[in-house]
Amino acid sequence: MRFIRKTRYQQDIALFRHGGQWFWYSLLLVAALAAPLLLDRFYLGELALVFIYAIAGIGLMLLVGYTGLVSLGHAGFLAIGAYAHAWLLGQGWPFPLAIGSAAALSAAVGAAIALPATRMTGIYLAVATLAFAVIVEQVIIHWASVTGGFRGMVVPAAAWLGVDLGGPAAFYVLCLALLLLCLLLALNLLRSPSGRAMTAVRDSELSAESMGVHLVRTKTLAFALSAGFTGVAGALFAHKIGYLAPDAFTLQLSILLLLMVVVGGLGSLHGVIYGALFIGLLPQVLAVVRDSVPPAIAQLPGLEPGVFGLILVLVLIYEPLGIYGRWCKVRAYFDAFPLYRRATYKRQKQYLRTERLH
Amino acid sequence: MSAAGAAASGPGRSLLVAEDIAVSFGGVRAVKDLSFTVEAGEVFSIVGPNGAGKTTIFNLVSRIYDVDHGRLLLDGDDITRVPRHAVAERGIARTFQNTELFERETVLHNLLIGCHAHRRTGFLSDLLFVPAVRRQELEFRRIAEEVIDLLDLQSYRDQVIGNLPYGVRKMVEVGRALCIRPRLLLLDEPSSGLNPEETEDLAFALEDINQGLGITVVMVEHDMGLVSRASHRVMALADGALLTIGAPAEVQRHPEVLKAYLGD
Repeated sequence: MRFIRKTRYQQDIALFRHGGQWFWYSLLLVAALAAPLLLDRFYLGELALVFIYAIAGIGLMLLVGYTGLVSLGHAGFLAIGAYAHAWLLGQGWPFPLAIGSAAALSAAVGAAIALPATRMTGIYLAVATLAFAVIVEQVIIHWASVTGGFRGMVVPAAAWLGVDLGGPAAFYVLCLALLLLCLLLALNLLRSPSGRAMTAVRDSELSAESMGVHLVRTKTLAFALSAGFTGVAGALFAHKIGYLAPDAFTLQLSILLLLMVVVGGLGSLHGVIYGALFIGLLPQVLAVVRDSVPPAIAQLPGLEPGVFGLILVLVLIYEPLGIYGRWCKVRAYFDAFPLYRRATYKRQKQYLRTERLH
Repeated sequence: MSAAGAAASGPGRSLLVAEDIAVSFGGVRAVKDLSFTVEAGEVFSIVGPNGAGKTTIFNLVSRIYDVDHGRLLLDGDDITRVPRHAVAERGIARTFQNTELFERETVLHNLLIGCHAHRRTGFLSDLLFVPAVRRQELEFRRIAEEVIDLLDLQSYRDQVIGNLPYGVRKMVEVGRALCIRPRLLLLDEPSSGLNPEETEDLAFALEDINQGLGITVVMVEHDMGLVSRASHRVMALADGALLTIGAPAEVQRHPEVLKAYLGD
C-alpha cells in the first residue's frame, strides 16, 4: 500500500500526485505513441475511434458526471461539430481554424439550449435534450444547400500546411493529441473553482448557491464546454466516417455516448477512457466471439444492441460506479491484502437532507 | 484568522436589521411583521416551538425566500433583493438543519467550495490553469487549513462526506460556512443530532468563532443549555410573531414563552 507523505499544498494541486503515476502514465503514453508502429491499419482506425469517443465522453462526463445534468442529445452536438467542420473545410478554411470554429459553434449552440434547459432537471432535462437531438437531425435533413440533406456530403480530406492528416498513422496521432489536450483542459477545470462549482451544483443546488455559486452561469458553462468538446469529437468523427449523412447521428448514438459514461464510471475521467474502450472495442470483440459460437446464436438479429443493453443493466445493478469503480475496488483489495474488509464499500446509512425547503 | 471580520465588529453596532419582515406560504403566515436587530459581535439565538418561523427567518436572510414586505439590512446595506448567490459575497454564511454537504466529495473539497465567494479567476483562466489560478488555489487551501485547525478536522481532511458520522458532518458544515470568512454566521440547529460530548465541542467552537474570530452568530437552537451558555441575547418566537428579546435567563422565565412552550 502506498502512503504519500505530503509536505506542500502544491502536491494536492499537481496533475500527477506521486512518482508512480508519472511512471505509469508516461508508459501508457509511450505505448500509445508506439501503436502506429506495431498495429495494422484496421486496429489503428479502431483506436482512433476510441479516442474520438473519449473526447466526446469527456464533454458528456463534465455535464452528466460532474454537473449532474443528464443529456440524451449529444449526438446533436456531434453532428453540429461534424457538419460545421466539413462545411468549413469545403469553403477552404485551414484545418485548425475549421475544427476550432466547429467546436465554438457547437459550444455556442450548447450555451443557447442551456438557458431554457437548465431550468429543468432529471427526466425533463433528458427529454428536452432528446428533443434537441431530433431537431438537429431534422435541420440536417432539410437544410440541403449546406448539409446535402439525405444525400449527405463528402468530408474533404484532412490536411494542413501540406501535411496529410488523413492517413491511418497521422489521423491516429491527431486524435491522440486532441484527446490529451481535452483531458488536460478537463483536469485543469476540475482542480479549479469552476470545476468545484459544478460538483457543488450536482450534489446540492441549495448549498451551492449559499456558497456563492451562480447556478445558471455554472450550468450554462458546463453545457457549453460539454458541447464544445463534443464538437471537436464530431469534427474528427467526420473524417473517420468520411461521408456525412443524417443517419450517422441518430438517437442510438446519443444513447451510446451516455452508455459510455455510465458504464465507464460516472464522476471520473478514468471512467471516460474505460467507457470509450468499452463501446469502441466491444463490437470487435463480439465479431471475434461470433466466429466461435454456434451459428444459431451468432446470427441472432440485434445481437450487438442486446449485449450492450445487457451489460448496461448489469452495470447499473451490480456496479453503479462503473468499470472505474470496479477497478478501484480491485485495487483497494490488493492494497489492503490480506486485511481487506468485506464491508468497505457497503452502502452506509443515508441521513436526511434538509426537508423544510422542498 | 479573519482580520476583516474582527475589524468590522465594533461594539454596539447593528449588523443585521430586520424591519417589519413578513412572508406567507399560501394561507400560512410564517413570519408576521417581525422586526429585530442583531448587534455586531454577539451570539443571538432564536428559540420557539415547532412552526414558529425560526428556519424561515434564516431562509429569508439567506434569500432562499423573498420577503412579502419589509426590509433586511446588513451593516446598513439593503440586502432584501440581493440575488441568492451574492449573499455569500456579502459576508453571510449559513448551515442547514439536516446538513446540505456535497456528499460525494472530501471534507477538504467541501471547504474549498466554501472559499468560492473569494474567487477572482474566470472560467477561461481556470480552464488553462494559469498561474493566478494556482496562487488562488494555494490561498484557498490556507483558508481551509485554518478552519480545519480551528475545528479539529485534521483526521477527516481527505475523507468523503458520505462516510462520516453525523456529528462530524455538522462540524464540517460549520467549517464550510467559516471558509466564506463571514461577518454573519447563521447556524440552523447546530446541536441537533449531536451527543453531549459533541455538543460540548460545539460550544467551545462557538466561543472561538465568536470571540476569537469576531464573527457575529445567529443560531436557531432547541438545546436551552447551549443557548443560555453561548448566547448574549435570545429572541423567542411563536407562530411567526415576536414574543420577547432579552438575556437568556429573562427569556426563559418570560410568561409568554412559557405559555408558548407549555400551553396555559
